[in-house]
Amino acid sequence: MDLDLIPAGLTAGSLYALVAMGFNILYRPTNVFNFAQGDLVMLGAMVGASVMALAGLPWLAGAAAAMLCVAVLALVEERVAVAPVLKRSAHGHSWVITTLAISMIIGNLVGRIWGPDPIAVKPPAPLSTETFYLLGMAVSSYQLALIAVTLLLVFGVEGFYRTRSGKAVMAVAEDRDAALLRGIDPDRLSRWSFFLGGAVAALTGILAAPLLYASTGLGPSLLLKGFAAAAVGGIGNNRGALLAGYIIGMAEAVGAAVLSPGYQLAMVFAVMLVILLIRPHGLFGSAEARTV
Amino acid sequence: MTAQPLLQITGLDVGYGHVGVLRDVALAVAPGSIVALVGSNGAGKSTLLRAISGLLRPSAGRIVFEAGDIAGWRPHRIVDLGIMQVAEGRRLFRRQSVHDNLELGLVGARLDRAAEAERYSAVYDLFPALRERPDVRAGVLSGGQQQMLAIAQALMRRPRLLMLDEPSLGLAPVIVDQLIDVILRLRAGGTTILLVEQMVERALEIADHAYVLQNGVVIGHGTPADIRAGDLIRRAYLGAGSEHATSD
Repeated sequence: MDLDLIPAGLTAGSLYALVAMGFNILYRPTNVFNFAQGDLVMLGAMVGASVMALAGLPWLAGAAAAMLCVAVLALVEERVAVAPVLKRSAHGHSWVITTLAISMIIGNLVGRIWGPDPIAVKPPAPLSTETFYLLGMAVSSYQLALIAVTLLLVFGVEGFYRTRSGKAVMAVAEDRDAALLRGIDPDRLSRWSFFLGGAVAALTGILAAPLLYASTGLGPSLLLKGFAAAAVGGIGNNRGALLAGYIIGMAEAVGAAVLSPGYQLAMVFAVMLVILLIRPHGLFGSAEARTV
Repeated sequence: MTAQPLLQITGLDVGYGHVGVLRDVALAVAPGSIVALVGSNGAGKSTLLRAISGLLRPSAGRIVFEAGDIAGWRPHRIVDLGIMQVAEGRRLFRRQSVHDNLELGLVGARLDRAAEAERYSAVYDLFPALRERPDVRAGVLSGGQQQMLAIAQALMRRPRLLMLDEPSLGLAPVIVDQLIDVILRLRAGGTTILLVEQMVERALEIADHAYVLQNGVVIGHGTPADIRAGDLIRRAYLGAGSEHATSD
């Protein structure tokens, strides 16, 4: 088997893990699965690409602008589409429709503003997408950086959940009423989680853009595979999402090489189904559920 | 009761959706006292505590804590005032450690490091068994230890009114004795306690005042001696329609 599949699979897997982590950040304090997450990623890529490629500003400026812009939009989404629904019933499921509506609104608006043409984005200097050989694998410096940044982000976000605010988020996730009785304000945590989840989504889009181009098509494809990574890893579990992202990225790369590129998506979902049949709560999910 | 009540409830109606549960409830809790709330299953005791804590919004009436009406306030603001509830069934964060559960009692407390350390050592002094295993997950503690941890978590905020919902539920008699000892020590330390209890006699033993609830209505209140002397308890526990049943 071709060793080049390994960096390709890990790079794609890192992106899926980041999308899944965005899902998880929003999910923890709200139990809401944000169907607009893919569009937030896509919008991050478009804003970043416009600032970098079209306005010619440095990578950092593009990243900062996109993260701020998408984080604020996610906060607006929380206020408009999630908080009112949860206020009526903390266990209702109307958010399926409202977050889907937000997804369509963002998708349509971005299509109207930017048009269908993908924007090419260069990686920040000195990184490059030119491949070289490392241990017999064709890999680019940008891929290595992307894999490293993903690891840092996942462990950084996990570190946040060890702070008092992070523990409060986990408390709300486990028992909302009990958290309310301890003086924890879930609304505040949910606002901050949407803001943070939006920023992570935008960063995911910016990181993906040099490899996949910034285009309106970025949202749906990353949404599906990010969802698969979140489900396989155990909803709410970021380390699970990282491992699951790698598994799905590798399955996709191997599937494309061994079978045919047309079977990529089928491979991803076959792997997801098999893992969920064996562990219905995901790789890391069941261990937590068993302690209850 | 000559002192101004710490908590005074008047004309309180509470329901879930269109189903009324509490009707025209009035209740007063004097500072530094233990007030017991007794009544059969479904009488509305937990509903009353949930309304005081802000988990349920009353449809009518006043809940006055010190001088202000807190009816309809959001739960975290009610906690900030100094009202803490230990809900029925030891609602801990079972996946988190003993220490983290105590820390979660401090969210929003805004204390400095020394003050926080002092809070930990105070609750560990009250519950020495918890001090020995701060890193153990709450979910693996015994039932009695979980109840102690649930109370300890609430005490981290130094509540002025501590509401305990069925603390003895499912605990061995020897553990219930320890629990009662803790409640008495808390009162001696100045904490006011509103106690909901199925074990009526154990509650009356330590209460300064008791209220009897039946079908969402307060059917009587008084000192434990008054309650024991009357037939309120029999009426409250011998089922619905007892006003008619006891009329002859």
